[in-house]
Amino acid sequence: MDYQFRFPKDLYSEVRIEEYYRIWLAIQNGKVENDGESAEVGAMVRVFDGNMWYTATTNSLEEIQSQLDALAAIAAPNPNIYEHPIVKEFEVNRDAILTFDTEQDIRKVPRNQLKEILDGYVEKCIDPEDKDVTFWVTSIGGEHEKRRLITSKGTDVAWDTQCCSFSMFYGFTVDGVTSYGGYNTVKMTMPELLGLEEKVLNKKAQYLNYAKNAKDIEPGDYECVLAPVVTAMFTHESFGHKSEADFMLTDKTLAEEWVLGKKVGSEKITICDDGSLVHHGYVPYDDEGTKACKTYLMKEGVLTGRLHDAKSASTMGEQKTGNARAQDYHKQPIVRMTNTYMEAGTDKLEDMIAGIKDGVYVMDVSNGTGNSTFVMNPTLCFRIRDGKVCEPIRVHMLTGSVFQTLFDVDAVGDDFELFDSYNCGKGGQMVRVSAGGPSIRVKKLSIS
Amino acid sequence: MHKAKDTWSQNKSTFVFEEGKLTSFSKESNFESSHKVYKDGKAGIHYHIGKVDDEEGYAKAEENLVRERPYPFELETGTRTRDKREHVLTDKELQATAESCMKYLNETYPKFRCKVTFTGTEFERRSVNDLGMDYGVQDYAVGVSGTFKHLDSKNIDDGYFGFNMRDFDEKVFRQVMDDYLGQYENRVELPEEIILDVLYYGLLGFFTNHLNGEELARGTSLFTGKIGEKLFSEDFTLLHDVSDKEAWFNPFWDGDGCVLENDQLTLVENGVLKTGFADKKTAKEYNIPHTGPAYHNFSDIPGAGGLSLKIKRSEKTVKELLNGSLCVIPVDYTPSGYNEKGEYTMVIQNALLFDGEKILGRLPEFKIATTAYDLFGKDFIGVGSDQPVYYDKQLLVRVNRV
Repeated sequence: MDYQFRFPKDLYSEVRIEEYYRIWLAIQNGKVENDGESAEVGAMVRVFDGNMWYTATTNSLEEIQSQLDALAAIAAPNPNIYEHPIVKEFEVNRDAILTFDTEQDIRKVPRNQLKEILDGYVEKCIDPEDKDVTFWVTSIGGEHEKRRLITSKGTDVAWDTQCCSFSMFYGFTVDGVTSYGGYNTVKMTMPELLGLEEKVLNKKAQYLNYAKNAKDIEPGDYECVLAPVVTAMFTHESFGHKSEADFMLTDKTLAEEWVLGKKVGSEKITICDDGSLVHHGYVPYDDEGTKACKTYLMKEGVLTGRLHDAKSASTMGEQKTGNARAQDYHKQPIVRMTNTYMEAGTDKLEDMIAGIKDGVYVMDVSNGTGNSTFVMNPTLCFRIRDGKVCEPIRVHMLTGSVFQTLFDVDAVGDDFELFDSYNCGKGGQMVRVSAGGPSIRVKKLSIS
Repeated sequence: MHKAKDTWSQNKSTFVFEEGKLTSFSKESNFESSHKVYKDGKAGIHYHIGKVDDEEGYAKAEENLVRERPYPFELETGTRTRDKREHVLTDKELQATAESCMKYLNETYPKFRCKVTFTGTEFERRSVNDLGMDYGVQDYAVGVSGTFKHLDSKNIDDGYFGFNMRDFDEKVFRQVMDDYLGQYENRVELPEEIILDVLYYGLLGFFTNHLNGEELARGTSLFTGKIGEKLFSEDFTLLHDVSDKEAWFNPFWDGDGCVLENDQLTLVENGVLKTGFADKKTAKEYNIPHTGPAYHNFSDIPGAGGLSLKIKRSEKTVKELLNGSLCVIPVDYTPSGYNEKGEYTMVIQNALLFDGEKILGRLPEFKIATTAYDLFGKDFIGVGSDQPVYYDKQLLVRVNRV
């Protein structure tokens, strides 16, 4: 669509128009539990006078011009606004990258196809005679998103992305206690959700083993091996958030703690962020119009970069990285990760485990948080004894100090995977991200 | 065929302060609707974000009957409205109030970097149907939320705070900030006995899961077969309560259009498990009593949920409940959530020591472990009649350090 906005004089202005389409279906114990779709169009209008941002949101695109005018009326005109350091940082790009305007566009998927996919999984992964399973739920869904940013500086970029999710969860009741576990994945297209039966049944077997045989573990410090999905979260929580530059803008203590060139971890660790990868954190242009790029945050244990929006880049005198992201048109962009991962090393998983006398293999995880102490909540752990993976164990939390744990990584595997099943919360905003890494071994993590 | 319509609207004005100064002002106007038609025991539903006229909404809902979503129940017919608004601030009033609050914060606590958001939210929900049901509720509150960090700290943030007021009082803001920041530089030791003083919303998920009628009926709840048993402290009474003045932006009717007697459902009374909860669909499917609530679903048929849980307050204040002991107020913490056995752990990265009236200082990082049965059983102390520090309901409970 061709938009012609009258941008107010002596103010920097922008319009971000977003379109969403969502579809979902869930079957629980044989009955359709949820079956829905929604479509949404909305816009955020922003005006900047050099001191403050003035913003408004609307679901009626015909109101955009009046919103612009109303915001301009309360802002203070600034004839030098285009010389403002933040405004000078804003790139001028004109582009349209509609990656999913193809047959893979989920808006073209008939709703009945979701039911067919789930029915196929139910047939192969649910045994009505299976007495171990007291509950099951399977779900599938998709979201297509299109963003367009038009600014008074001349930018007009449009891009789209989408995600498709599938899950199959089981409840196993043993001695009156029901534990839940299963398989879930997020991909970029629906066909990628097909043919996962073996993975589903493998996860089912692992969680059933956990439900029947998990032992408690004495809280304390243990040598740990983290599976790739856990390393991915570890990378995101322990280090990724510290690479977001907005928290150190006026903070001398943090700026000194995270000075570029400082050794902050083991030389085996290299960590990147790259919004140009077509994965869950794909952002070819960020919500300020900056083109995505690959940013090395840590190279061989040395801090080499950080993530920026225009404000943090201009304040710190560093390059923009395309990491200004807003959850949706209700929110203003802030510095966020995109696709963040630890690069593969050369170590073998079996060698990592073989080198441990008494430790823990952390195979799956649900969520985590990151501050100076990072916390992860594992869902599947095993005891390692004399170099062998033994019985499942019940672990509530895995914690460590960011400042120490990055130095404690003494093996980095060659089994890299990138996971699209993450969302990240910060400042009241949830954005899609992907996170990745290989198996790693950590000399000491606190288990409770 | 019958018709029904749910609408939800929310208008927000937000002022954000970063590094001591006002950096943004936002106006947000949201409207959502759900047009529903009921025919031959099925529901057709059209969910729309933004405005849509009724003719189009009902037409699309009728098209949606093809999904065959089952709803073989009579529609409700009550009429009632409730307006919880007290003092709605204009944008200019809210800005002036926020700037005055931030002036106090900046001048009194220059050693802290704070990001504070002031949001005025006006809310309206309405549900109507062609059998005469007409329910509506309006509410307004100013929400203050923020993070703080001491300038010498290596943390990204040292803590967070948030509270709502229907009639904003700057004195409350000042008191909350004094409590959080006033003694922050004074380091103190952990007491021998750890009593947590926490906002309890995050701790009640155990009941949401295990009192769900569906879980109870199929035997996957830890409470299956235990209705009528005394499982918790004599002082512990748990209600689903939509009359609560302390609940924000909530309708009094549920997703099935049902209204509870006195707007309350007692789930646990003096430690005795009284009942689970079930919406119409769950009650029919498992042949159990229909108690409500059902969650409000704009895009599909409702199901069991939408609890607004409240622990009955003690007649004693927090100070009186402590009876001379000291308690711990976590300001930056990460909970594990309950595991399948009801066990719960928490890493408390930053906390304050409190005597029920004044903050004594900041505590070192520590971890705690407990279980749902202990939290609301032998270790339960109570919910005070007052609400110091948080300006919200808070639970006092003994926990084990690990």
